[in-house]
Amino acid sequence: MQAGNTKPKKVTYDHYGYFFIAPFFIVFLIFQLYPIFFTFKTSVTDAVGWDKILNNSIIGFKNFQTLFTANDTSGLYWLSFGNTAIMWVCNFIPQIGFALILASWFTDQHLRLRAQGAFKVMIFMPNIITAATIGMLFFSLFSYPIAPINTLLQKLGILNTPFEYFRNVPTSRGIVSFIQWWMWYGNTMIIMIAGMNGINPSLFEAAMIDGCTSRQIFWKITLPLIKPIMLYNLITSLVGGLTMFDIPHLMTQGNPNNMTNTVARFIYQQGFTGTYNFNMASAGSVVLFGIIIICSMFINYLMKDHDAKPHR
Amino acid sequence: MKKVLSLVLAVMLLCAAMPFAMAEEEVTLNVWSFTNEFQGMIEKYFAPSHPNIKFNFTLYPTDGGEYTSHVDTLLAADATAEDAPDIFTLEAAFVKKYVNSDWTADLKDLGFTDDDFATCIPAMLQIGQNPEGVQKGLAWQSTPGALMYRADLAEKYLGVTTPEEFQEKVADWDAFLETAEELKEASDGACKMFCATGDIWNAYQYNRSQGWVVDGKLVIDDVLYDFLDLVKTAEEEDLYAKGMAWQEAWYAGMNGTNEIMCYLLPTWGLHYVLKPNCVPGADGSMSDEELQKLSDENGGTFGLWRMVAGPVGYSWGGTWVGANAAKVAAADDAKKAAIKEVIRFFTLDPDFLYTYAKDSGDFVSNNAVVDKIIEEGGTPNPFLGGQDHYSIFAQAANLANASTMTDYDEAMNKLWDDNVTQPYIKGEVDLDTAIANFKAAVSAQFEGIEVE
Repeated sequence: MQAGNTKPKKVTYDHYGYFFIAPFFIVFLIFQLYPIFFTFKTSVTDAVGWDKILNNSIIGFKNFQTLFTANDTSGLYWLSFGNTAIMWVCNFIPQIGFALILASWFTDQHLRLRAQGAFKVMIFMPNIITAATIGMLFFSLFSYPIAPINTLLQKLGILNTPFEYFRNVPTSRGIVSFIQWWMWYGNTMIIMIAGMNGINPSLFEAAMIDGCTSRQIFWKITLPLIKPIMLYNLITSLVGGLTMFDIPHLMTQGNPNNMTNTVARFIYQQGFTGTYNFNMASAGSVVLFGIIIICSMFINYLMKDHDAKPHR
Repeated sequence: MKKVLSLVLAVMLLCAAMPFAMAEEEVTLNVWSFTNEFQGMIEKYFAPSHPNIKFNFTLYPTDGGEYTSHVDTLLAADATAEDAPDIFTLEAAFVKKYVNSDWTADLKDLGFTDDDFATCIPAMLQIGQNPEGVQKGLAWQSTPGALMYRADLAEKYLGVTTPEEFQEKVADWDAFLETAEELKEASDGACKMFCATGDIWNAYQYNRSQGWVVDGKLVIDDVLYDFLDLVKTAEEEDLYAKGMAWQEAWYAGMNGTNEIMCYLLPTWGLHYVLKPNCVPGADGSMSDEELQKLSDENGGTFGLWRMVAGPVGYSWGGTWVGANAAKVAAADDAKKAAIKEVIRFFTLDPDFLYTYAKDSGDFVSNNAVVDKIIEEGGTPNPFLGGQDHYSIFAQAANLANASTMTDYDEAMNKLWDDNVTQPYIKGEVDLDTAIANFKAAVSAQFEGIEVE
């Protein structure tokens, strides 16, 4: 044997992995990370109008000062924030509730529901349709004075005269929340089912042998064990809810009296209408970003099993 | 020998080619637009007679401000760049922004004189001027608005048989309101005077003597309070259908499902909105005969509409052509002449405008051409029961005063409707609160506009 061949060359394929993840990272860097930094940068400038989007000067934290002191802009911002919070809570509580109930029915070994696939598809369906379509659809359904819902309620004798849903605060907010709920409870349900199926079946069997009722199994076994999934749902829903834009924008345009205006719509109005205040829009986004981070950390803290260790 | 011969031939060829090259220097112009309409017009009418002018077309849609964002960023970065537009078209929504800026060229720098504009329809000229009256944009179309009404309902409820009589009934806004009340009584509330407050707004804003912003300050013209009184009365007394423009109820009045007396629409509204919606199931591709037949069979409104100038002359929409100031300043004579020729041909050339009006049915921006068409018998329109829409639009066009138009109109009008008109007339807020909300919204959305 020749000396050169004693050490066989070590062939590694490890670095090929980078090629496979490269497309994601390239797209991420250009279309996500760079715009995020650009937003941070724009938020401390005087960029008003397209001509100043690149040629602007840094003015420090004046835009943030505007958002945190009493004036017309901050008034609109925090009103929008309140609206967003209300509409998010009104959609999130029923969303989690329905998702939990449906998921526990679908995974319940006593019930063994038939045609589960068909039900899951039907429940998930609204999530597949684009929000824009749904926004327009509901706008047409609830229009005034001639529209399907008004006509139907009048035919049924529930209403005598057509009702203006989009000029009434509870109904217009309610419709926005309803659409958010209707679009997303299927998605949440699927994730919950995945979480519940991940629980070791022997735990359920043991509980059943011990004579637990379905309710006890749900509260004492299922719910504690899907906590991480709940956390994931809460945070993704929080992010989605606080950046709510398409449905209110297409359906109510913030009406009546700005009571369905959301933070994302405020940012849009600042950035893309009027005098194109990109600086204020960016500052609004940065503040929203901060609020989302704080809320997520808070939820994370709440959901952690703080007393898990001492019990051992 | 051969060499000499070929040299002689080459020289002869060169000499033969020279005069053409000298006379017709080839010029390439960058044209930016937001639809392919202008490109189509250039290719059809302009290119055959001007072979020495070549074009590069750039198209961006206006949706979501895409066109304006491209124009703005490019002009701000380098207005003389190779790919920057020499000529760009401007829509009513943003034409004021550009003619008020330094980006558009004074047309006199291209060699136009005031005499060239003498026969243009004044409102269209006004919109193409900056506040100092410098002409920077010109239009080939004019988009005056008029009032369309249902002749059958007018006769049934008001006893009005001619357009002239109806014009008296809507000669001004007080008369308009009185007629609305008369109509309510006569029809027992079945027939409404109009469908949406937006319909009234589009015309009523032309009654103002000052636009939204004067010298950097927000101005709420006194006339706007009269507008609020009018629509509030209409709301409280159920004089209108309480619909919204472009929604079900709006179309229901057009196709005869509901009885609505008036629509205030511009030239394009007559052809592309009212007519294709005159009967359920109609569409824009149908011929007049097909529409008439469908309408007769299904209780549509084809042929029942008539047109009058209405309470106020107004204009809604339109496209202007302007030139990039920086490029004009840097251009040589041949290029300047080419830019001038394009603008002149499409907006001032009577022969082109006449041909174009005949081909497309559009209402053009030149009174000389409009008069010629009316003299030749106009455009008897079966949809209007044979009425000539050209002569009515001509009246309306010359009544309109567009001096109050500003570059903020689109956004301001929306804020006004959202914060004042709707909440106030529906009784959700009182007038003072509504005005305060409007001012707050303006101050939040418009940097640098003073709000007291």
